[in-house]
Amino acid sequence: MLAFDVVVVGAGGAGMMAALSASEGKDLNVAVISKVFPTRSHTGAAQGGINAAMRNRDNTDSTEKHFRDTVKGSDFLADQDAVEFFTSKMPSVIAELDYYGVPFSRDQNGRIAQRPFGGASSPRTCYSADKTGHVILHALYEQCLKNNVQFLNEWFLLSTVVEDGKLEGLVAMDIRSGKIHPIQTKSVVIASGGFGRIYWSRTTNAINMTGDGTAACFEAGIPLKDPEFVQFHPTGLANTGILLSEACRGEGGYLVNKDGERFMKRYAPEKMELGPRDLVSRSIETEIREGRGFGEGMTSYVLMDLRHLGEQKIMERLPQVRELAMEFEGVDIIKEPVPIRPSCHYMMGGIHVTDHETCSTPIDGIHAAGECCSVSIHGANRLGGNSVADVVFYGKYAGLGAKASAKRRQLGNAQRLAGETAKWEQEFQRIREKQSGISMFDIRNRLAETMWYNVGIFRTEQDMKKAYDTINQLINEYEDAYAGDPAEKYNMAFINYVELGNMLKLAKAITLGAIHRKESRGSHSRADYPARDDANFLRHTLVYKDGENYRHEYLPVTITKYQPEERKY
Amino acid sequence: MEKISCKIKRFNGSEAWYQEYEVPYEKGKTILWLLTTIREEQDPTLNFTSACRHAICGSCAVRINGNAFLACNTPLDEVIETFDTMTLTFEPLQNFEVVKDLVIVWEPKMEKMKKVKPWLEPTANGSKETGFLQTEEEFHQIAAPTDCILCGVCASECNQLTVNQDGYLEPFILNRAYRFAVDSRDGSPEEHLRPVLENELWKCLHCMQCVSKCPKSIPLTDEIAYLRSETMKMGEMNNQGAKHAYAFHDDVKKKGRLNETMLPIKTDGLVHTAMTKVPFALRMIKKGKINPFHFPKEVEGIAGVRALYEYAKEVKD
Repeated sequence: MLAFDVVVVGAGGAGMMAALSASEGKDLNVAVISKVFPTRSHTGAAQGGINAAMRNRDNTDSTEKHFRDTVKGSDFLADQDAVEFFTSKMPSVIAELDYYGVPFSRDQNGRIAQRPFGGASSPRTCYSADKTGHVILHALYEQCLKNNVQFLNEWFLLSTVVEDGKLEGLVAMDIRSGKIHPIQTKSVVIASGGFGRIYWSRTTNAINMTGDGTAACFEAGIPLKDPEFVQFHPTGLANTGILLSEACRGEGGYLVNKDGERFMKRYAPEKMELGPRDLVSRSIETEIREGRGFGEGMTSYVLMDLRHLGEQKIMERLPQVRELAMEFEGVDIIKEPVPIRPSCHYMMGGIHVTDHETCSTPIDGIHAAGECCSVSIHGANRLGGNSVADVVFYGKYAGLGAKASAKRRQLGNAQRLAGETAKWEQEFQRIREKQSGISMFDIRNRLAETMWYNVGIFRTEQDMKKAYDTINQLINEYEDAYAGDPAEKYNMAFINYVELGNMLKLAKAITLGAIHRKESRGSHSRADYPARDDANFLRHTLVYKDGENYRHEYLPVTITKYQPEERKY
Repeated sequence: MEKISCKIKRFNGSEAWYQEYEVPYEKGKTILWLLTTIREEQDPTLNFTSACRHAICGSCAVRINGNAFLACNTPLDEVIETFDTMTLTFEPLQNFEVVKDLVIVWEPKMEKMKKVKPWLEPTANGSKETGFLQTEEEFHQIAAPTDCILCGVCASECNQLTVNQDGYLEPFILNRAYRFAVDSRDGSPEEHLRPVLENELWKCLHCMQCVSKCPKSIPLTDEIAYLRSETMKMGEMNNQGAKHAYAFHDDVKKKGRLNETMLPIKTDGLVHTAMTKVPFALRMIKKGKINPFHFPKEVEGIAGVRALYEYAKEVKD
């Protein structure tokens, strides 16, 4: 049986940082399993930048201001001890990335360049043109090659095996051989990314962002914290939902309705386009609902105008944005405004992390970092530039936490693992032999449709209950889902089938959390409860899955310095 | 309604075959749309890899009608127009091991890439605690090469690699070596350059396939030229490639044209040429391809040629 000291699940920014810090000193046997080759991970899609109060561009900036902005951006749902820990140490993590060879854009003094970003009181977003995540992902992969980190590529997590509240190990499929393996390990870092694909076609996410690690932990008894908070990025391309970086607004782009009006003056008179993402997304959707957008129904949009920046600035700072707009929308942003509409971008909620210094969870031995989990530093709304920062920062600390756990813990119970492995082998066999049933792609599309229309940017009890019923119906249909590939080796249809099961569970948790949060806060905006309600809901939601029963409870928010106040921009 | 006929090379681990699919044509779609439509509507057993669907993750490169493309950002209409056909043949990238259908394996390439130490060897001017200073100009030198998304298109199309998998390095590996050799924060450029030279750097055929098909327009051939000249600066002159380059350089400077009889002697030395090239040379003489008694004279306008050399030197300095 495979046995390691630490297994990291996921090879994006968080996973590779965790692997690097857990394997430092070379005294532990560390492996990374990833369903894709590491440099395919979704960290690479992050465009605009990574926040740290370096004070390179504005020497009045401070880690304190970064702390305050993040708390305000979170609509006061972030845990302030965690945010302060994060913002105070971020500048040193940027220095570390520089030392790892990340090619950051530079200022005239040779220091790392910084740009303004939504919701930030100072220009503190470090960047590499508009491909920041890509260069960080590659630099981390290079460091992993240098340090001989072991990768099990194209391995897919099926279960985290837990008994009596303790980690026993993992079960995973080697996709290429089709073999299902029990893996003994003393500790685990889950770093499997977000799950925006529950909105299937209206998301900026890669097609494989299905929350496999989050779902496995949820199934094993770890609650999901604040799953109802889903960020919609204001500037997805109208046709495909592909992301155009926040750097577009950061560099000075205008948002314009069909009357040619910069409508943000109605919603954020001071910050205008540089308001935070939740606010700008709602503003765009309001314009569309009130008939000031272009097009109709699912194809409605507003325009983002970047022409006034001029060719030189666009080519220097936003070259990838220009390519994306040309390739996927047929528009040259130097010459024309580009059609955009909000697109599901990020999950603030996820695996309940209980200790922000070690990223541990309620299950001894399981740690988590990045979008799959909620520490929480993003609360009800994440600021642009804080996610790549989150993955590298908490990836590092989760790796250190898992290292300490591994030194303290023993390998798990092999028998328990064998039982779980046999269960999955049977399931694989059943799906391979199944000759007919309900198309899994059809279930997937209906899930996305109900989520977009009923648990999207604007929410009501009535709509969400409709979605909840639909999801329950789809969960029933899933039992008869047909994948259509009898092969043993490289059976991606089976993987897609398991991914769909994961998305159904997570979508149900999101909807449950959203129905019960009877207020509007951050990205969670309810037409039937338009105001924030601190008296009842300045609390984290925790959604549990006990067998087929989903239930929720609440947990206090940690407030150290900043008392809730009205959030104005 | 117009249809696109797709012939896709399938592979199940032991057997390979071509399978045909027909998809109703739609305007304004991508190659990835075409593959996804086949998989979701006709055949869920078809495997290919894709993830970000906007040309940053590098997963989805395939060959269509004998040429490599990134599927997600390649417009279907452009491919139809380029090949002037509605019949498209899909195959996995060349020069990679295939695991299934259009899915290839990357790990052996990464093992090979380790030869050039594809990581920063930091100078003493920076530290893990403070990072580095780097000028905007120095950043610009590494901006283009760090666009590489490891999609494998260049390696698939490289004609040298196709005949010399063990000896030659993939263009994306050469790019990685270049990227660190020119990084002002890297203190050991030779550590990246020497393995490149030792892996037949001079064998690049200048066919330009890599640079013309790179979806990120990375100037790979300029980088190869730079790597060669840097290895010469390191004193690595005593090799076929450098001697061949100097033979060209010196002949043209002296006479304004090549002395083809002397070229192999200058490149390989008299003994080696005599031992290996004599029968070949005799055949060429017999066919009237070369005249061993012809010693080229200076061309008309040799002064202009020499002025060009001077100018090039000035520009370089």
